[in-house]
Amino acid sequence: MDVTVDVVSETTHEVSIDDGATYADLLSAIDYSPQEVSVLVDGSPVPEDQPVAADTVQVVRLIKGG
Amino acid sequence: MECDKCDRDAVMQAAYSGGHLCETHFCRSVEKRVRRRIRSDTLLDPEATPDDPETWVIGLSGGKDSVVLTHILDETFGEDPRIEMLALTIHEGIEGYRDESVDACVELADDLEMRHELVSYEEEFGIRMDDVVEDDPENMAPCAYCGVFRRDLLEEYADEYGADKLLTGHNLDDEAQTALMNILEGDVKQIAKHFDASIGDFEERAEQDDFIPRAKPLRDIPEKEVALYAQLMELPAHITECPHASEAYRGEIQELLWNLEENHPGTRHSIMSGYEELAELAADRYGGDDEENKDLSECEQCGSMTGSRICRKCRLLESIAAV
Repeated sequence: MDVTVDVVSETTHEVSIDDGATYADLLSAIDYSPQEVSVLVDGSPVPEDQPVAADTVQVVRLIKGG
Repeated sequence: MECDKCDRDAVMQAAYSGGHLCETHFCRSVEKRVRRRIRSDTLLDPEATPDDPETWVIGLSGGKDSVVLTHILDETFGEDPRIEMLALTIHEGIEGYRDESVDACVELADDLEMRHELVSYEEEFGIRMDDVVEDDPENMAPCAYCGVFRRDLLEEYADEYGADKLLTGHNLDDEAQTALMNILEGDVKQIAKHFDASIGDFEERAEQDDFIPRAKPLRDIPEKEVALYAQLMELPAHITECPHASEAYRGEIQELLWNLEENHPGTRHSIMSGYEELAELAADRYGGDDEENKDLSECEQCGSMTGSRICRKCRLLESIAAV
């Protein structure tokens, strides 16, 4: 299935993934670790080990420091 | 996917424990872990009383970590007469970036009705990080200057406000990175200092006459969970990267840890639990009144404690002024 991954304030990726692939697989396809981002579907965070169930997801990068 | 504790949708997965939690149970879990850490570090002096309370100064930058720390401390101890808390913010002279995060600090302190103090490099030292980065007289990374100045002001003002403890928002990722860096650098004395200065149980630490003891109550919480907590609780955290951020070695370690965590969930936790035990052993060997600490004397220029004639901060300021 094809998924649009919008990395907020950065780039948007079109990613093809296998059926049953997880949000973590989706992140790995665009070279992010689940430790450095949050995945949002319709504005709500989702657990990364779940199968992708949306054709558009947002990825928010963690910001270091303060 | 349902929450492990109720039938609401999970918002997160903790790979290191296998758990899935909804918004409510996740936030409760973060708070519970922070409170457990506060207890196991004996952060609250058992001898503090309403007549003779402890003073905690919180280093509040306005970023997610310190905002979450301040919020949870206020929730937990805001009404406790044994503790007086105040937040201390440092403006480094980074235009835009720090102006906005200072606004976040002011908003949070207002919300919590907490005393808030702001000090700046410009007023204290007559410098601004934006200019220091431009001139770079020592040919160093920006964070190398900034860290020296920030530690100096936190220490000086925490002391001025009568702090018994200085609390900072370092999270699990920060601490595991520091632990691994100390190990990889082979610096056992630094590990001993780390224990006595900031990660040891207060009942086990050697007395530090010259420095205000520090504590890091968020150090069991992964960075990602701190960010998620700030977002779900709608805290006024300022979410932008410092334009001068440049800790190359730390970045390398961070990436190494992400990769390890992905293949071996729980690595950060196990690094810290082993490291804390080792650090305590190192502190028994090197901590307290060792030779090195005996050599500390007052800096000839500013009076802060240093191992040399003139402290590192004053040397850097001289070098910046010479440009």
